[in-house]
Amino acid sequence: MENRPFIGPSLGIYTGTGASHSWLWFVDLFEKAGFFDLTFLDEIDVRRGGLDGLDGFATAGGDTFALAEALGPRGAEQLARFVENGGIYLGSCAGAYLPMRSSKIPLDQFNFVDVRITNLTSALPTPQRMAGKFCTAYGCRFVFHPVRETVTLVIDGKSPAAGSLIDAPLYGGPGMIAAGDAQVLANYQGFTDKTLFLTDRRLAEKTLIGTAAAVRQEKGRGVFYLFGPHFEHPRYPEANRFLLDAIKEEMDRKPVGTEKPTFWRRNARPSKAGKALVRDVKRELSNARIVAAGLEMLPLQWRIGEKIYEPTKIRVFLDSLWRRIRPLEKADHVHFTPGCDAKMLRLALEITETIRTMKHRIDENLDATPQAKELFHRLQGLSKAFLQLYFDTRAAEAMSDFASFTPIPGELN
Amino acid sequence: MEYLSNDKILVVDLAKGDVEEEELSEELVAERIGGAGVNARLYKEYADDDPIVLGVGLLTGSMYPASAASVLTAKSPVTGKLCHCPVTLKVGIEIKYAGFDYIVIKGRSDKPVYLWIHDGVADIADAADVWGKDVWETTDAWRKGVGDDLLQTMVIGPAGEKGLDCAQVCYNYWTGPDRFGIGKLFGQRNLKGMAFRGMGLLEAAEPEDFVDEAFELLEAVKGNAFMSKKGLGPICAALGEADAEEWLSPVVHRHSADYFTPYATNTFAFIDEDPAAVTETAKPEPGVLISDIPALLAFKKLGLSALDAAKAMQACARQGVDPMAAATAGEKGGKTSIDDILSQVAATTEPAAMEGNGVFSPWCPRKPIFGDFGASDTDAWWERRQAVAAIFGIQPVFAVMCPQLTEESMISLSNIGGELELDQETLDTVIGDIAG
Repeated sequence: MENRPFIGPSLGIYTGTGASHSWLWFVDLFEKAGFFDLTFLDEIDVRRGGLDGLDGFATAGGDTFALAEALGPRGAEQLARFVENGGIYLGSCAGAYLPMRSSKIPLDQFNFVDVRITNLTSALPTPQRMAGKFCTAYGCRFVFHPVRETVTLVIDGKSPAAGSLIDAPLYGGPGMIAAGDAQVLANYQGFTDKTLFLTDRRLAEKTLIGTAAAVRQEKGRGVFYLFGPHFEHPRYPEANRFLLDAIKEEMDRKPVGTEKPTFWRRNARPSKAGKALVRDVKRELSNARIVAAGLEMLPLQWRIGEKIYEPTKIRVFLDSLWRRIRPLEKADHVHFTPGCDAKMLRLALEITETIRTMKHRIDENLDATPQAKELFHRLQGLSKAFLQLYFDTRAAEAMSDFASFTPIPGELN
Repeated sequence: MEYLSNDKILVVDLAKGDVEEEELSEELVAERIGGAGVNARLYKEYADDDPIVLGVGLLTGSMYPASAASVLTAKSPVTGKLCHCPVTLKVGIEIKYAGFDYIVIKGRSDKPVYLWIHDGVADIADAADVWGKDVWETTDAWRKGVGDDLLQTMVIGPAGEKGLDCAQVCYNYWTGPDRFGIGKLFGQRNLKGMAFRGMGLLEAAEPEDFVDEAFELLEAVKGNAFMSKKGLGPICAALGEADAEEWLSPVVHRHSADYFTPYATNTFAFIDEDPAAVTETAKPEPGVLISDIPALLAFKKLGLSALDAAKAMQACARQGVDPMAAATAGEKGGKTSIDDILSQVAATTEPAAMEGNGVFSPWCPRKPIFGDFGASDTDAWWERRQAVAAIFGIQPVFAVMCPQLTEESMISLSNIGGELELDQETLDTVIGDIAG
C-alpha cells in the first residue's frame, strides 16, 4: 500500500489450544520492531480462513500433538494453502515440530517440510533433572530434550552473517537434519555456562551439536521457517534480529500488496466504552496478579496435557497484559471489534474467580489441577482478545497520525 | 509529580458510591511537601465534607531509613483538632505501592463498605458480611476473599461500629497509634476499613545518587549503640522503666520492624503458647504484636503481669479499642485482675487523656529514646519531630530514636529523588501549619 504509514507486515500469531505462553514472546518482538498489524488466532480462526490476507503466521511453543489435534485436517489445509499462496510460516519449538513430516496421527496431516529430528529415541536415557520436562511419548519412541536454556548457534548459508555465532534459548525444540529442498540457516554450535543439561553432556552433544537449529523451506509461493530454539525470546537480541531479518527478506521478495491493514478489515472501531473496558480489565488483572504472586511462593506444579505448568507462568500472561494497560489508558480512543468487550470482561472476571478458588483449594491441601487447566485456557483467551484490542488501537493510532490517512467512518459508540 | 510518587489523588464519595482521580501536581508538593502537609491542604479543600484524608509521606516506601509510615488526617472527635495519626507496620508503605498518594474520603455510605485499593484501582466493596465482626475476623475474611495472605488492612472493630470515642483504626490484626477516635469516624461513615495491595514500583529522579546517599545515611544509623538491641524491652529501659524490660521478657517471642526500619519497634508476646518452644506452632499468627509502649506500661501500672497485659492488648486489638483508653478505664474503675480488665475492654467508651497538643499521637513516647537530640524543650522538640515524620513518612518511634535522620537529610533525599527544590524554609512553614 503506497502512502501507508509503517505498521509492519500483517502477521498472525497462534494463541489457541496447544499453545503455551511463549507466543507472547513473538508479541513482544513484533511490537519492539514496530509491527502493529497483528492478528491473534486460535484453532477456530485458522480453520475458518483466518490466515487469508496475512503476510506471516507465527506458531511458538506448546504441546505439538494438542496443537495438531486442535487445528485438524481443515486447519492443516488452511495452513498449506496459506504458504502456497505466498505466506511466511514462522514456527519455533512446537511450532517447528508441527509441519515436519510424520506418520503419527494427527501430525500426519501437516507433512510440509523435509526434515527429521535428532532428539528421537526408542531407548530413553535417564534424565538428570526436570523429569517432567524431559520427554514426550511419540508412538513407541520418545522425543527427548537433552538440554534447556541458552545454546550457541552458528549461522549457516551464504548470508553476510555466515559463520557468526548467536545465542538462543532451547525449551524442548528439535535438533534437525534437513533433506530435499530444505535449507539450513543455522546449526547448533555448542553449549554455554547457562545451558542446563538434562542428560549427560556427551549424549547432548551427540544429539544436537552440528545439527540444524533453523531451517527454511519454500513451498509454492511461500516459505516455512522452523526454529528449534526460541529465536523470538525477548532476552536474545541477536536471535531476534536474525528472525526479523528473515521476515524482512521474505517481505522484500513479496509483491507489493494492496490489502488494507487487518484491524481495518476486522472493523475495529474507536469506542467511548473502551476506556471503561480497559479500567474493568485492569481491575481484574490486578486482582489476579496479586493472588498469582502469592502462589509463586509455593512449591506447585500442574500437569496440563503433556506440559508442566508452574505458578510463574500465570504472571507471564498477566504481566504481558498489565504492562500494556498504561498505553491504553493514555490513548485517545480504544479500538475494538464490536462484541468483544463483553467476552473480554467475562474472561477477566472468571480468571479472578478461578485463581482465588485455586488459592482456597491449595490452602486446604486440595488438588487445583482442574482449576489450573481452566485458568490457563482463560488466560489464553483473555490475552488473545486483549492484545487484539491493544494492537488494533496502536495500529489505528499510527494510521491516524499519518497525514494522508482517512479515518474510519463511523461515530464513537 | 513524576518521582517518588504515583501522581494520583483519589477522592472517594461514600454517599454517592463513586471514586474520582486527580493528578498530584508538582506545585502542591513544592508547597506542602507530602504526608500530613498535603493531607492538611486536602482537608481544607474538602472541609465542607469533613473528610478523612490518608496520605503517604514524600519518602514513604523509599530507601530512606525508616521510611515506613503514611498518615491519617481527620478532625478528631477526641480533641476537636485536625490530627495526624501515623499508619505503621507494613500498611504504611503498601498504600503507596497500591498506586495512590492521597485518598480523600468524604460522605457516609448508606451500607457497610470497605475500600479495596490495588494497583491504582479503587473499589468500594460491600462489607455487610464483616460488619459486627472483630478486627481479626475482618482481616482474615478480606485476606481469604482476595486470596492474598499479604493483604494490608486498616480495620475498625465493634467499638468503631458503635461510634465510641475510644475506637481505634487497627492495622492488620493489631492496635496502633490512633488515640484520636478515627475509628469512630470510620464507623460513622459505615466504613469498615481499607485493604491495600500493590505491585507498583517507585522511581527516583536520580536513582544512583539517591541510593548512594540513602545508604551512606543508613551506615551512619548503624553506628548507633542501640542498633545491637531489639524490641520494646530496651526502649522501656531507655525511657526510665528499667524493670519493664525484665517484666516483659518471659512472654517475648520475637520482634519485628516496620518497612526498612533499622530497629525492631514491635514485640510479639506469646500468651497461650510457650515463647521458648522451638517446634513450629500450629497457629498461623501466634502471639500478640505490641507497639504501644505507653499503653503497655499503663497495664503494668495496674499490677498486671506481662502475660495478662498482652492478653489485654489482644482483646483491645480484636475489639478495635485504644488500649490506653482501656487501661485508663481500668484504672478509674479500680480494676486490677485480668478478668475484670478483659470484661472492661468491650465496655470501654471514653478515650484516654491526650498528652501534648492533640495533633500527633502520644502512642509514640514523648521524649528521645536512646539518642541525644540536644533538645532543651522536649515537648516542642517532640511535636516538631512528629510533624517531620508525618510529612516525610518516617516511622515515628524510630524518628525519636535516631538523631542521624535529620531534617536536612530528608530534604536532600527528597530533592534528589523527587527532582524538587525543597528548602528548610518551606519545611518550617509546613510544620508551623500542621503542628497546631
